[in-house]
Amino acid sequence: MKNIVLFMGLIFALSLPAQDYEFGDISKEELKEAYSPIDSNASASYLYTYRKTYVDYQQSTGFQLVTEVHERIKIYNKEGLDYATKSVKLYKSGNDDEQILGIKGYTYSLVGDEIIKNKLKKDGIFKTELSKYRNEVKFTMPNANEGSVIEYKYRVNSPFVTNVDEFVFQHDIPVKKLKAKFASPEYFNFKLNTKGYMAVAPHVERKPGKITLNNKSRTGGSSLTDAVRTTYSSENIDFITTVSTYELENIPALIQEPFVNNIDNYRSAVKYELSYTQFPNSGTENYSTTWEDVIKKIYQSSSFGDELSKTSYFKDDIDALIADVSDPMTRASRIYNFVKNRIKWNGYNGYLVDEGVKKAYKSQVGNVAEINLMLTAMLNYAGVKAYPVLVSTRQHGVPLFPTREGFNYVITYVKEVNQSFLLDATSDYCLPNILPFRALNWQGRIITEHGNSQLIDLYPSDLSKNVYSVMVKMDSEGTISGGYRSMKTGHSALDYRIKYNNRDEDEYLEDLENKYGGLEVSDFSVKNENDLTKPVMESYKFVKEAQADKIGDKLYFSPMFYFKMDENPFKLEQRDYPIDFGYPSKNTYKITINIPEGYEIQELPKGAAVALPDNLGIFKYNVLAKDRNIQLIVSTQINSAIVTPNHYEILKMYISQLVEKEAEQIVISKV
Amino acid sequence: MNSKMKVNIFFLLINLLAFSQTELYSSFTISKDLANQANAVIRSNDININLKSSNEMLVVQKRIITVLNKNGNDAVDAYAYYDDVTKIKALEAVVYNASGSQIKKIKKNDFKDVSAVNGGTLYSDSRVKYLEYTPITYPYTIEFTCEVSTSNTAFIDSFRPIEGYFVSTENSSYTIDFPEGFTILTKVKNFTDDVLKKSEGANKIHYEVKNLAALKPEMYSPSFFDIAPKVLLRSTHFTLEGVETTVENWNDFGKWMYNDLIKDTHDLPQSTILEIQELVKNENTDLDKAKKIYQYVQDKTRYISVQVGIGGWKPFNASEVDRLGYGDCKALTNYTMTLLHAAGVKSNYVVVYSKDGQRSLEKDFASIQGDHVILNIPQETGEDIWLECTSQKLPFGFIGDFTDDRDVLVVSSEGGKIQHTKKYEVDESLQIIKGHYSISKDGLIEAKATFQSKGIQYDNKYWLETETERELDKHYKNRWGYINDITIKDMRLHNNKDQIEFIEDISFQGDNYSKIIGDRMLVHVNAFNRNEHVPDRYRNRKLPLKVKRGFKDLDEVEIKIPADYVVESLPKNNSIENKFGVYKTEVIVKDEHTLVYKREFTIKDGEFPKEDYTAFRDFYKTVARQDNAKIALIKS
Repeated sequence: MKNIVLFMGLIFALSLPAQDYEFGDISKEELKEAYSPIDSNASASYLYTYRKTYVDYQQSTGFQLVTEVHERIKIYNKEGLDYATKSVKLYKSGNDDEQILGIKGYTYSLVGDEIIKNKLKKDGIFKTELSKYRNEVKFTMPNANEGSVIEYKYRVNSPFVTNVDEFVFQHDIPVKKLKAKFASPEYFNFKLNTKGYMAVAPHVERKPGKITLNNKSRTGGSSLTDAVRTTYSSENIDFITTVSTYELENIPALIQEPFVNNIDNYRSAVKYELSYTQFPNSGTENYSTTWEDVIKKIYQSSSFGDELSKTSYFKDDIDALIADVSDPMTRASRIYNFVKNRIKWNGYNGYLVDEGVKKAYKSQVGNVAEINLMLTAMLNYAGVKAYPVLVSTRQHGVPLFPTREGFNYVITYVKEVNQSFLLDATSDYCLPNILPFRALNWQGRIITEHGNSQLIDLYPSDLSKNVYSVMVKMDSEGTISGGYRSMKTGHSALDYRIKYNNRDEDEYLEDLENKYGGLEVSDFSVKNENDLTKPVMESYKFVKEAQADKIGDKLYFSPMFYFKMDENPFKLEQRDYPIDFGYPSKNTYKITINIPEGYEIQELPKGAAVALPDNLGIFKYNVLAKDRNIQLIVSTQINSAIVTPNHYEILKMYISQLVEKEAEQIVISKV
Repeated sequence: MNSKMKVNIFFLLINLLAFSQTELYSSFTISKDLANQANAVIRSNDININLKSSNEMLVVQKRIITVLNKNGNDAVDAYAYYDDVTKIKALEAVVYNASGSQIKKIKKNDFKDVSAVNGGTLYSDSRVKYLEYTPITYPYTIEFTCEVSTSNTAFIDSFRPIEGYFVSTENSSYTIDFPEGFTILTKVKNFTDDVLKKSEGANKIHYEVKNLAALKPEMYSPSFFDIAPKVLLRSTHFTLEGVETTVENWNDFGKWMYNDLIKDTHDLPQSTILEIQELVKNENTDLDKAKKIYQYVQDKTRYISVQVGIGGWKPFNASEVDRLGYGDCKALTNYTMTLLHAAGVKSNYVVVYSKDGQRSLEKDFASIQGDHVILNIPQETGEDIWLECTSQKLPFGFIGDFTDDRDVLVVSSEGGKIQHTKKYEVDESLQIIKGHYSISKDGLIEAKATFQSKGIQYDNKYWLETETERELDKHYKNRWGYINDITIKDMRLHNNKDQIEFIEDISFQGDNYSKIIGDRMLVHVNAFNRNEHVPDRYRNRKLPLKVKRGFKDLDEVEIKIPADYVVESLPKNNSIENKFGVYKTEVIVKDEHTLVYKREFTIKDGEFPKEDYTAFRDFYKTVARQDNAKIALIKS
């Protein structure tokens, strides 16, 4: 964290005297700027980005959310031209929809010493109905080119007052100056959540506001002499508005790195979420403030809690299913398998049901909530203590702050006297504590009795194991042949089953052969591909040519053959974000090599063991030889799903040593 | 056979089909041959087209498909496109379980309705209704019925009984009815033996096929459209977007395009005309003028996809592009053409199928084809020049693998004609490496080389010019992924657009490049350009071998070995020449510590019978193995 604070200090120290960013006030300096001073690699940058979102009241329409946007973008090269097209997504629901208004834009270019200005016209604005819930407005700037500055502004009026889009501070290109404001009257209380590696804090002010309500009344007209009179009256309502302002400068671009869970987790942004409303002369309505509130709110939602208490639809089937057993674990296992077999996942996430558990049960198709809430309800019905667990998928990011939108998935937690585990019935090959990869994302929230909650780790702690046993016979031409057997457990088995069971066997074999360029496979067999209680086993016989270099009367070869790791996936010199492997794992290779007749062993690699600090992982390499037989045992083990970036350098070095060691050669020579 | 008889037979066939239909709802009736290597089986697909007049067409489709596994879901293909002139009249899907009992019915309003805009398109006025269905078990069967009417008669669906890889077809039929006096022309492609049954009546054509096994994609094979059986159909008389016409051949087609779609879009403001004339006033030849103008267009415009009305066959006016500085392929090509015209240079609008599959327009079948537009500048002597107007980066006259080596339609005021675009010959697609490296006594490599790339090899690299340093570092580390612990020391890139060659000057170093084993050291001789690719093995190769583009690599590398080592043995020299290409390597001892490694690797383009695939793969295997050869050094 120290580094980040220092970095932020640097940003502010560098800031220049304030520049005005009036719409249309483009300077020649901006047009002449050849590269971004923040990042010379950038293809474009935001010279200025402004967004103000506020809750507004109109007598005719009531409260609405208004967002004003003003952006000025500098385009440095052709790649940057992507930023000359802007897309705005607009939500709709029933008769309510968001409207975009007042789009105004210009492209500025420098020709000689003259600033040329091109106006965005109607023919550059396109509106598309994407789906029932979304419209999209795109506009593309005229005559935008290398060196151009484009500038536009628009406003979005939204009837969805409770739904304020995230204020994103960090983009894929740098930002020179950012200004953001959020204002809401006292009736709406929003909670602020921030995320990302950059620390940001708003400047908060309270300002008086006023709503004027106009009334019109008519009197008279009862007789010919009684003329109609219209009287106008107006009533003022005073209130306090809270205005939060952010001003940031020189924000670096966010760069994607490999083995990052979800780069958006690290993108600097703030989110305002409605926590409660309080209108004059009425009570407080809570939305969310603490985790407890969030959980209660979710729990009380009819699409969640109510669905958990329904039992009539499955009663008869479950009664029959568990009638002959009383052990809770046996019951749990039967019910889990029953749900997995009966209800297929339709691919939609969510912790709230869509059509409802009843309908899902009948149609045999459901979203995540329908499947796992149903599972929870059935388990409880059968006397097994089970609770729903709110989860955010990897793609959805990490829920760092108490928000309802922070979650998008739900699984089941079983807690019995001696055992507790997590279940997800949306994937055929999942097992207790073996969740699909999408759900392996930091922590979930168990919803216990009465809507209380507690945290639970989603990353597995058990090692997923791969054990490879290989018998190799080498001939004097360097061709190897032999037998291969592998045994996989945990997530390694899950990955294998998904890959193998969804393919035609011939296809799978061809892929296998081609993955190892020229491997030829026969007598292929797989065991336990559907018996999840046992490790999945694969075995085959193989032939592979050219596995040793023949130089003079000697043969040189790596005893790991095609099993060795050829390349270090970590190429960057440094890294800012945690490395996310998803789950801890251990690979063991037991390789026995029979060298050709008439040869003797001349050189053998030495045994080695390399360990990562903090018990993060270990690599072991052992080799033994007797007569014409060589026995190699190699194991690599990563004990943690997550490795923090302070260990990046050492992890990179560790893998590099591993690659090196695995490439080491054995030399055999003719007797 | 008189025509009345034919009609009778025709109806008999229809009846037979209807009779057996219920059997098709069950998955158990699929024959083994059809299930083999298929993810889905089209049980029956009946397309009935009623061309009522030149501006009214009704398309009725009834499709029964059994999906065998998860990968077959996409083959259901229950999509119905519509727009201003195309209306969906009926739409329904019924789902059956494996034994053929109905489990679900989806009505028109329950289909998802979305814009048919894909990610890269700014705007399109086409929309689509599609079925979203989550299968409960496999196999399952879907019956999809769809009725669409349109006033565009320029596109008549082809009869395509095989729609994609891994999908087999049990029955597929196609019927077109057309008014008296209309001529319907057909072209049959890629049918083997006599599987295609045709019957013809007065004002009616009917096709039918049965039992086509699934195709499976294979490496180095002809593209799908070159192997999939189909019948193309067109009416000589048709309407597009309200414009009615009669087309007998490509010449007519070109005339129609030129007169009705292109001619009146060539407007330019006087100021631009003057600007262009000023721009080229010092250029003497048409070629030099064209070069200047192409650069002008590249500097001024950018590509944006806007699809309006039937993929918008009419380009935007040149004046629009002039004003806005952007456009789609048609608009930008048309704009370039108009500017060239202003400078007195003749050029032609060209309709083409894009992408690297080298799909040709049908030489002898003039119908609406193609998905892209480029520009042609005719040359009196030598090859014509082809310009890709949507790119801001390609050199003048370079089209790369996007539109090379295929038949295209060249449109001019005189009409249309089929021409063939530039083919990049083996010798033109050249990469020359000149470099050197030295090995330290600890096994560290220090290397520096110059890579000069032309032709298709230029196409593979020119984009590097505008990558960021960060990305380039990653790119080169990946290119030499076989060198552990590589550090890129220096990268200098030069894009010589005049000569159309790309120059990379790169130096790098890597720890532990060579393996030290006791007193010996093993050094991979080929540090810069190791071919690790071996074509996939097929247990049973079905498709012919096709190499779409050839290339030639020439490497010359000087190697310095550490002072305290001497050469124990050198890799053997290679000299292979066969119909697929050339592979030659040689290591020459210059002095005690200096070696020179020379290598040539050439792959020729060409088509070969499927029996040759193994030999082709073996050739690559040999190259991969010999590229991995090592020099053995021993301590002196």
